[in-house]
Formats: sequence, structure tokens, C-alpha cells
Amino acid sequence: MSLKFRFIILGALLLWLSAACSAFQPHEFGGVVFPEPQTVSDFALTAANDQTVHLSDFEGDYVFVYFGYTFCPDLCPDTLAKLALVRRELGDDAERMQVLMVSVDPERDTPERLAEYVSFFDDSFVGVTGTPEEIDAAGKPFGLYYEAHEGSSDSSYLVDHTARAFLLDPNGRLIVAYPYDASDEAILADMEYLLAQEG
Amino acid sequence: MKQTLFLLALAFLLLSGCTAGGDGQLSVADAWGRTSPASAANGAFYMNVVNDSGSDDALLSVATPACGMAELHEMYDQGEGVMGMRPVAGQRIPVPAGETVELKPGGLHVMCMNKTAAFETGETYPLTLTFEKAGAIEVTAEIREQ
Repeated sequence: MSLKFRFIILGALLLWLSAACSAFQPHEFGGVVFPEPQTVSDFALTAANDQTVHLSDFEGDYVFVYFGYTFCPDLCPDTLAKLALVRRELGDDAERMQVLMVSVDPERDTPERLAEYVSFFDDSFVGVTGTPEEIDAAGKPFGLYYEAHEGSSDSSYLVDHTARAFLLDPNGRLIVAYPYDASDEAILADMEYLLAQEG
Repeated sequence: MKQTLFLLALAFLLLSGCTAGGDGQLSVADAWGRTSPASAANGAFYMNVVNDSGSDDALLSVATPACGMAELHEMYDQGEGVMGMRPVAGQRIPVPAGETVELKPGGLHVMCMNKTAAFETGETYPLTLTFEKAGAIEVTAEIREQ
């Protein structure tokens, strides 16, 4: 066997090994993974045209639940724009991803305003809200915190809120919580991984 | 002779290193605002403020026809995944000499209240930034998704 041939064999072997290695490496999620998927109790909130939306309506899909408000200038549009990008990148699998924004500012966010707001990012996104009691009940499994406070003289009020996007699996169980700075690439990689796991 | 030339070149390089950062100016780069629908009452503008002027400065205010009112705001982490937003203390963002201060998502931003229009991707808006020492600086902010 010539020396050159041996090198080629060795190179091929190394290449194969490195590929095999990465294939066996566990997928690293872009957010905080719940070791045991958490069952989330169903909730009913209101969308535009007085439509009642249940969380369970989306079973079978991967659902991103995001708590925010339309007056929010920074993180909410940032997160929704990222999720819209991820959905577009999924191509044929886009149908399997649903984004549900729950407004924690029912005083200013009417269901109609919310519908217009979320559809700006993606037509499929659904915006819901309810009474403070209904919002609290819906947010409880997610550890939702929100509190309105005065901005400054003219800025009316601002709302501090949980800024994570929560991912539920097709059985409606909470599997990942994404921090506000999770990248769209990471979320997309997670979605592709989850869909591939379904076989 | 060669050695002298080398030393001269070295001295020149060292000296040019000394002056850089002292004689420059304060400048603003990559000003942008995020695309947002008309139904979003508020928006945000971001930018990098580069202070090459050699003396400390501070951003004090922003005026633009894009907003009913613009304020300097910051996001802050309250732990447990909760983020809050508040007007910057004293409406003053310090920009120390030789440093670049980033206004970016999740951090400092220009809070644009009562947007005067939907912010469509590709549009541009003029911003007038007022600094403590550098005075008024006009920049153009591009509207984009991220």
C-alpha cells in the first residue's frame, strides 16, 4: 500500500469519526430546558371578534406562548420578529409552529388592537387577553410576573413583565423557556431538531 | 542608515498611536429603528455612540418627527426572567472619552412614544441628538427588522 493511499484512508477515517461524533452529541437548546416536560393547565382567553381561544386549541403543534403588551417598544417586537423569522425559515413545517401572545395590559390592548399588532409580524400569530384574573390564571404555570408602573410625566405607564418565550410541545407540555436574548438561529435549530425527532 | 530609518518609522508609528483617540470627534454610527405596525403606539431607536473626542460627554436628548415624544430608556433585568424598563436616570447617558456606548435591544434605547407613523422597513427618519459637549448631531435612522 502506497504512503499516499494510506493518508487518504486515514483522512477519510478521521472525517467519518468527526461526523459520527457530532451526530451523537446531544442537541443543545437555545433556552432553559425543563428536564421533565411540565403539564400546563388549559386556559381560555379572548381574541379579536370576541373569539374564545383555548390553549388546547393548538394541541398537535409547537406553541410559543409570549406574555407582553403592544406599548412595549423593545423586547416584545424583538421577540415577535425573531419568532416570525423562525416560522418563515421552517418552510413546509411552518404550519407546525404557532405563536400565541398574551397581553398583560388589557386596559390598553383590546383584542382587536392585539390582532392587528401580532399579524404585522406573521399572519398566523394569535393575540389574546382577558381580565386580570384570567391573565393571572393563564400565566400561573409559566411563573408569570407583571406589574404596571409609571414611566415619566408623559410616557404614561410601562409594564414590567416576564420576558421569556415559552415553548410547549404538541401535547401542550412546557419544554423550553427562551430568554429575551435567545437568537433566532438557536430557536430555529431547536424547532428543526424537535421536528426531526418526530421522524 | 537602515537602522535610522527603522527607528524613525517606529517613532512615527508610536506617535500616531498617541494622537489617535484624542483629536477625533464624537460620532454616531448605525442608527436604526425597529419595524413596527401602526397599532404599536411606541417604538425604539438604537445606535452606537463613539466618543473619540478625548473628553467625556453625555447624550441628553433626542428629537425626531417620528415620535410624539422621545425619551432615553433602559431595560433592566429583575431576575427570574422578568425585564423592566425605565427612563434613564436624569435623562443622561454618559459616553466616556475613548469609549463606544451601544444602544441596543435589551439595553439602552431611545423610547419613541406616540409614533407618528407605522415604521415600515426601509424608511428613514432624521434624529437630532443633543450631547452635553458635542452639542446637536443629526443622524438618519433606518427602519429595519433587527
